[in-house]
Amino acid sequence: MAHVEIENVSKAYGPYKIIEGLDLKVADEEFVVLVGPSGCGKTTTLRMIAGLEAVTGGTIRIGNRDVTQLRPGLRNCAMVFQNYALYPHMTVSENIGYGMKVRGESRASIEKAVNEVARVLDLEQYLQRRPKQLSGGQRQRVAIGRAIVRSPDVFLFDEPLSNLDAKLRIEMRTEIKALHRRLAKTIVYVTHDQVEAMTMADRVVVMNKGRIEQAADPITIYEKPSNLFVAGFMGAPSMNFIDGEIIARDGALTFTAPSGTALRVPRSREAAYAASVGKAVVLGVRPDHVLRQGAPEGSSVRLLVKDVEPLGPHTLVIGTVAGFAFTAQMPVGVAAEPDQVIDVALDLERTHMFDKTSGMAIS
Amino acid sequence: MMRNDPIKHVFIWPAVLVVLAISIFPLIYSLTTSFLSYRLIPPIPPRVVWLGNYATLLQEPRFWNAIFTTTLIAFIAVGLQYAIGFGVALALNARVPGERLFRVALLLPMLLAPVAVALVARMMFNPTMGPLNQLLSKFGLVNLPFLTNGHWALACIIAVEVWQWTPFVILMMLAGLQTLPEDVYEAAELENASAWQQFWGITFPMLLPISAAIVFIRLIESYKIMDTVFVMTGGGPGVDTETLTLFAYQEGFKKFNLGYTSALSFLFLIAITIIGVTYLALLRPHLEKRR
Repeated sequence: MAHVEIENVSKAYGPYKIIEGLDLKVADEEFVVLVGPSGCGKTTTLRMIAGLEAVTGGTIRIGNRDVTQLRPGLRNCAMVFQNYALYPHMTVSENIGYGMKVRGESRASIEKAVNEVARVLDLEQYLQRRPKQLSGGQRQRVAIGRAIVRSPDVFLFDEPLSNLDAKLRIEMRTEIKALHRRLAKTIVYVTHDQVEAMTMADRVVVMNKGRIEQAADPITIYEKPSNLFVAGFMGAPSMNFIDGEIIARDGALTFTAPSGTALRVPRSREAAYAASVGKAVVLGVRPDHVLRQGAPEGSSVRLLVKDVEPLGPHTLVIGTVAGFAFTAQMPVGVAAEPDQVIDVALDLERTHMFDKTSGMAIS
Repeated sequence: MMRNDPIKHVFIWPAVLVVLAISIFPLIYSLTTSFLSYRLIPPIPPRVVWLGNYATLLQEPRFWNAIFTTTLIAFIAVGLQYAIGFGVALALNARVPGERLFRVALLLPMLLAPVAVALVARMMFNPTMGPLNQLLSKFGLVNLPFLTNGHWALACIIAVEVWQWTPFVILMMLAGLQTLPEDVYEAAELENASAWQQFWGITFPMLLPISAAIVFIRLIESYKIMDTVFVMTGGGPGVDTETLTLFAYQEGFKKFNLGYTSALSFLFLIAITIIGVTYLALLRPHLEKRR
């Protein structure tokens, strides 16, 4: 059992508070991804779990063991660093076996373990090379090998794929997921790449300014973002936001925005939105929440086109709606030219509504 | 510009001539001189003796004594400089409070002229008037023959060398330490490697190339030691602290035995070359691993 519990943890560098009152529970064998913009405290959180950063307050437990005051070596965590942190003067096999050597294990058992790891990670032919003689992906695999050889309680990954090229990143993503399935260990993974977060995690923790904005499985994060920050951060291209107001008219609710934008609120949502009538709200529309045909009345916005980006499977039409930036994902061959105004029908059942003052989702 | 443009000669030849005049010519001149019996006092006309000077030198116990003394000073002094310098650099790298002050203070000896250092040292170690022996007297201890006993004099010279040149090692090693990546140590920390294991497993091997260079530079420089010995002991007592350079100086500028001195210089050159080549050959396998 190696769950990780972070309880009311805070971190400050002098007068600068980076993290305040952070609570997070990672279940045994769970794959949790911490994601957020740079400076949101995700790496600091990871380093506090590892013990490389001392906490200013709070408690960290790994498998019921209070490790808050333990030095890193006693926490039984293995970490994979962004820049690999391989020992440049050692061969691949020495790199992987260093931890065991330090613990004074026999040469035979080190060799056996290293060979086993090399087989799993497909590194057998590189064992006598030095890190300098390896490609980025191979180095990353050595770093992972060094982590798994000691069968730790928890794996910590600090943006491990950010130095790899796009193609390799996708490959390594799959490899790390497969590794998680095989090893069945707790993993805490830090990334700023929301695609990585969505594709790999059992649970995504979105962080901002040292706080957790939302922690949920990837689909919930995408479909039910709890606030404006999560809605805007997750998903690419990101969600469109239109500031406006909900008004009651003719026994129905309508979302209105500047320059004559008026959208009929679906019946299913009326109850939820009733309390927000007359208040400033923000409508959130993902670029793919666009209807291709059969648009009911009162579900279209007028998009002033600025640019058209054909991507192959679909085309992105970029412009403004009611003065707010707006991207719509349209079928290939859509008739749109820059400076043209086109009608875009929205799938209003799937759009989101947020309170403008608090930023929280209205549902 | 064309490859065959004659202008190239205008640029190249002045440099070649200067090098020839100030470096190659004296070398060849002194090589020729080393085959002559050439004395200024008494002024006897030069006579070709071929390898005669070399043969005499190699049978001269004073020459072997000078080689032994120089080697002793060089190896012990450089060994101590490296060990102490590395230690201090590690301490300075650990961000102790007041580290900047220490850094400047510890570099000062290197900036002083060796002659000045040797003069101060001679006064400090003076057996009758030096403050060291006065201090010993104060505590009722026996006065020590710092510069009047061969062994003590050698130790004093080594001490001064170490005092003056350890800062160089500190400076270089500190520069080396600061280039080491931090995350490698964090990785070792997570492996529960002790400070001692981190030093022998990571710091020392990663700094081996720069260590090799520093020791090489200091070793060659130490073989050329002159001013410190000249001022502190003048090679004495007797010839107990006479180094190769000092021996050459005595022969060349006291006895004006130029042929003999030239031969001595060449033997010196050969000795240093052998030491340098052996040193690099011994280290090469270790350094190549790190390419």
